[in-house]
Amino acid sequence: MARLVKISSKLAKGGNYCQGTSWHRHLAGARSLHVQTTADRGEAKHSTGSSVGIKYPIIDHQYDAVVVGAGGAGLRAAFGLASKGFKTACVTKLFPTRSHTIAAQGGINAALSSVDDDKWQYHFYDTVKGSDWLGDQNAIHYLCEEAPKAVMELENYGMPFSRMPDGRIYQRAFGGQSLKYGEGGQAHRACAVADRTGHSMLHTLYGRSLYYDADYFVEYFALDLLMNQGRCVGVIAVSLEDGNLHRFNATNTVIATGGYGRAYFSCTGAHTCTGDGAGLVARAGLPLEDMEFVQFHPTGIYGAGCLITEGCRGEGGYLVNSEGERFMERYAPSAKDLASRDVVSRAMTMEMREGRGVGELKDHIYLQLSHLPPEQLFSKLPGISETAQVFAAVDVTREPIPVLPTVHYNMGGIPCNYLGQVIEHKNGKDVIVPGLYAAGEAGCMSVHGANRLGANSLLDLVIFGRAIANIIEENHKPGEKVPDMPADAGEMSVDHIETLVNNKGNTPTAELRLKLQKAMHENAAVFRDGPTLQEGVKKVKAIWPEIMRGIKLSDHGRVWNSDLIEALELQNLVINAMATVVGAENRKESRGAHAREDYPKRMDEFDYSKPIEGQKRIPIEKHWRKHTMAYVNVNSGDVKLDYRPVIDTVLDDKKVQSIPPKIRQY
Amino acid sequence: MSMSRILSSLRCVRMCQVAGRQVRCLASEACTEPPDVPLHTPEHVVEPPLPDFVERTGETSALKKARLVYQSRKRGMLENGILLSTFVDRYLDNMNDEQLRMYDFIINKPTSDWDIYYWMIGSKPAPEEFDNEVMDMMKKHAQNKEMELRTGWPDLK
Repeated sequence: MARLVKISSKLAKGGNYCQGTSWHRHLAGARSLHVQTTADRGEAKHSTGSSVGIKYPIIDHQYDAVVVGAGGAGLRAAFGLASKGFKTACVTKLFPTRSHTIAAQGGINAALSSVDDDKWQYHFYDTVKGSDWLGDQNAIHYLCEEAPKAVMELENYGMPFSRMPDGRIYQRAFGGQSLKYGEGGQAHRACAVADRTGHSMLHTLYGRSLYYDADYFVEYFALDLLMNQGRCVGVIAVSLEDGNLHRFNATNTVIATGGYGRAYFSCTGAHTCTGDGAGLVARAGLPLEDMEFVQFHPTGIYGAGCLITEGCRGEGGYLVNSEGERFMERYAPSAKDLASRDVVSRAMTMEMREGRGVGELKDHIYLQLSHLPPEQLFSKLPGISETAQVFAAVDVTREPIPVLPTVHYNMGGIPCNYLGQVIEHKNGKDVIVPGLYAAGEAGCMSVHGANRLGANSLLDLVIFGRAIANIIEENHKPGEKVPDMPADAGEMSVDHIETLVNNKGNTPTAELRLKLQKAMHENAAVFRDGPTLQEGVKKVKAIWPEIMRGIKLSDHGRVWNSDLIEALELQNLVINAMATVVGAENRKESRGAHAREDYPKRMDEFDYSKPIEGQKRIPIEKHWRKHTMAYVNVNSGDVKLDYRPVIDTVLDDKKVQSIPPKIRQY
Repeated sequence: MSMSRILSSLRCVRMCQVAGRQVRCLASEACTEPPDVPLHTPEHVVEPPLPDFVERTGETSALKKARLVYQSRKRGMLENGILLSTFVDRYLDNMNDEQLRMYDFIINKPTSDWDIYYWMIGSKPAPEEFDNEVMDMMKKHAQNKEMELRTGWPDLK
């Protein structure tokens, strides 16, 4: 924590500002606090109400760039900016090496051709196809062409990629990777650092960034973007350690806050994946894109959500329902339990819906492994018996593991162009929101479209984190004048905290969170049809006022107030959830991860299952090959939907040809 | 598609003997090893060094506990989020200052959360500096002898 800026002691000297008091006393006491300038690299200012219309102290900072989040994307952006001489702050609620990127074990895609004759154009094809033609092909072009460079850069920064005996970077094969535009068999494209690729990436980027002048504000929670007439001019955050508020006035603001898996009951992501970035942009009146596309993994442990690998089924494990039936034989007679993830998830969901789920609530399925010889279990599936014991109290040699389809990745997020600049779509055009960028799972470029391929998420992080640093360098110079923030910037956030803390609400955060998660899992998960989704919209609408105005905090303290932070996180989650369920209800087709029982077909501008000659192009209002742009009104919970065409052109058609839609089959 | 092909298109769990140790491919996605190419992760190459952990001083034990609650609930990986949050829920109140200090070191000094997880579930031995009575409590907690179904975060007190 070398660069953690310490200011609490200076404030404490101010007299009225003593640590550990309640927020009430803090707010009251602060009214008489003297204006005091604290030295933070000589520039931070400590203002009071008289100048900003707010009745208590705020510490002001000025930066060329502020990055919110310190996972792979945030670190890559922060480090890229700092290395180019920009004065950069990185504000993060978690210590950098503790970001969710650490959970990614698999790898990072790049067509390095270490193992086979791979080309980035094949990677491009696979990603477009994987996206079910909802991905923007200019962004996918950029992603795939830059991938080898980005991996070599990581290598030069010291990331210890696994090797082949001759020294080349080792690459492993994942599902969805092909050679020769799907015709040349399996490709080997994922570079890895043994089983700790994500950890290694975080470690490398954070370590490297400390060579440069980036300031880390660790364990700070971002509350709101600071906006000035449509331009983003920074962000306001609260320091967990002392409860102080900090305004980061910055020329450029980068959001890299990760996904929002926690909007669902069962999620392989950490508890900290609460979609805070989407909350920030929605409160600034900006849209969210394609939020209805949520990737599920068939086998998360019931309750805990921990991932049970597909390898279990590869080794001979199978799924059974409450009647002891191996039901996958009915849904996929040849592949059975080894069918693709979406097929297995859907079959499990159908069994539960038809009353053949297991357990008291019939809301999960059993994964049977106990017929396998214990030696095989321990040697071929190491770690599984521990995971089952620790999180489900199950002895896999004797009992089945309770599992259910579990949220694994959010394809949607903050709409961006391929350079990482946040956009809106107005009058048929993409319009850049000045000063605002997003990357990683929080952003939507959109490279994953309706479905993400394995090992493309770590790539997404570094490519767009890096792209943001590059575009900022192109358009700005270090040290240029930081745009003004309005005098009352951040007042809304302060009011909000004050309301939350003083609230006479009735329900604790945990109870409301569970209610939201259950509603999302019951009504907006794998099984989707009109009535289910409409009920989902109603449920989330019903919870909305309780979450926005009815939370009861039990901790009124200022320091390390987990209760307050979890309330703020829940308010971000419900914004994500609302955009997801409303977007899903409106999208009347099945595409990638969004599969509707009542609209089982993909609805493109042509029927691509037949020759397109002689077909009339369906206008964009009547087909669904378009991005959802959801504006969530944070006061009412109402969602205004707009749509944006998919970009089918590539950046340079001399290098790669755009791939026209066809039926997606594997 | 032959059975072996289907199997090989699933996650690879083959063990490779490289540089005297077992290395397992732990991809969370479908995965196969390249044919006849052993995985080799150089032992001598490590990521750039990170700054050393600095212990916070002058904290009251109430403040330290509040911090440790936050830091236990907010982890980057789900497994640790569950194990550490349930651990502090059960044990933190009764921990003495020395135990609090040990716990602070265990959860904040290591730079890999995976290591903390492997130590807790016993699949890797904890290094000497962390192998203390609190680590023993954490290991015991992880064993889940009470056979609890762990459904996530316990409520805040």
